[in-house]
Amino acid sequence: MKFINDLNLRKQAENLGVKIWQTPGFLFIILGLVAAIIMAATYFISKNYDSPQVLVISESIVATVILAVGSSIINLFEQVARINKMKSEFVSVASHQLRTPISAIKWSAELLLEKYNKGLSKKQISDVKNIFDLVCKMNRLVSDLLDVTRIDQNRMIFRKKKFDFKKIVKETINESSILAEKRNIEVNASFKKEMSLGFGDPDKIKLVVENLLSNAIKYTPSGGKVDIRLFEKDHFFVFEIKDTGVGIPEEQLKRVFEKFFRSDNAARYQTKGTGLGLYIAKNIIEQSGGKIWFNSIEDIGSVFSFSLPCHNGKMAEIMKA
Amino acid sequence: MKKRILIIEDEKALRETLEDYLREDGFDVKIAMDGEIGMNLIKEEEFDLIVLDIILPKKDGFKILEEVKEDEKRKNIPVIILTNLESVEDIQKAFERGVTNYLVKSDHSLIEVSEKIKKILKI
Repeated sequence: MKFINDLNLRKQAENLGVKIWQTPGFLFIILGLVAAIIMAATYFISKNYDSPQVLVISESIVATVILAVGSSIINLFEQVARINKMKSEFVSVASHQLRTPISAIKWSAELLLEKYNKGLSKKQISDVKNIFDLVCKMNRLVSDLLDVTRIDQNRMIFRKKKFDFKKIVKETINESSILAEKRNIEVNASFKKEMSLGFGDPDKIKLVVENLLSNAIKYTPSGGKVDIRLFEKDHFFVFEIKDTGVGIPEEQLKRVFEKFFRSDNAARYQTKGTGLGLYIAKNIIEQSGGKIWFNSIEDIGSVFSFSLPCHNGKMAEIMKA
Repeated sequence: MKKRILIIEDEKALRETLEDYLREDGFDVKIAMDGEIGMNLIKEEEFDLIVLDIILPKKDGFKILEEVKEDEKRKNIPVIILTNLESVEDIQKAFERGVTNYLVKSDHSLIEVSEKIKKILKI
């Protein structure tokens, strides 16, 4: 099945965003043809001629053909790789350039709301609030895009330090309480009283917790519930977040951590969303020495979990090295 | 006595919003739009804290930081870097040169910047 799929060049070209003659399937066929022709030629030559000169000449012709085809294949691959690199560089530069104007708009709106709101009507204040909220979202999107390009270029840098994981989880729950209230979602959390410290990059881990929590709240219908558990097992934390949300359709379960992936029902339920959050989360957790996984049933809900090394465990020792 | 803060930032909108916000929060704020003007102000006047961008016309933030920290009379002035550069190399470079705090603009609201300043000045 996979083989047949590999030969569907038009589809492959569409998926990869390249021309048909640049697809791996096409190059594979060319390679096969070259091998077949060489075999036929060798057979033909050895059958009809037995002088060493002819053999040497024909062998050098074969070698030249193989070299020519090989180098053109390598060229094509190089070109594809270069285009790919240019694409992520473009995203990186464009996002970076967007950061200054976005910060300026954000700060201007904040200044207006916090310090110069005297004399503004309710309507004006609510308009400025809209500007502020939207520009914050834009800021988040740009940060996500920058994170993605860093992941793709292997440039994401992780600090390595001890941190209070329980505190991060509590903070994140507090910060999203407004969103949860607005959507009428009950968020519960349970922790053990005494917990170890985590080891890794606290800001990045917080980003993951924020992501999972905001997903759980966003994709759960009003009146639903989100339950968070944090416990320790064999020198690893396990963070678990369970919602009574829309869930993920079975046939799309495999694609959840793909870049830009959004399940059909999620996109219907919440038009906003980039499909970057879980891709980034998976990369952060795996780079931090943990694992991320989930269970989900459509229309019933999802449970997302990840593990993370405690600072006193073996994994943290490996990461310190 | 109001605390005196110098903001060295070339982007007009960022400079003005931060200036207004800190003034409203009770600081005496002075501004400079490039590195040279900023460095001259540091030499001529007295400040309790400097907010410094990295990429600046005429003299960049690292150079200014170095000059401040090499100056016996001024090396104790706390310096906050406020930038959108966030590579580990830049952050390391700044701390090696004795910066008090390193903040990324996009990650901080004005109130957060103001609070960090108050914390450093123990207000």
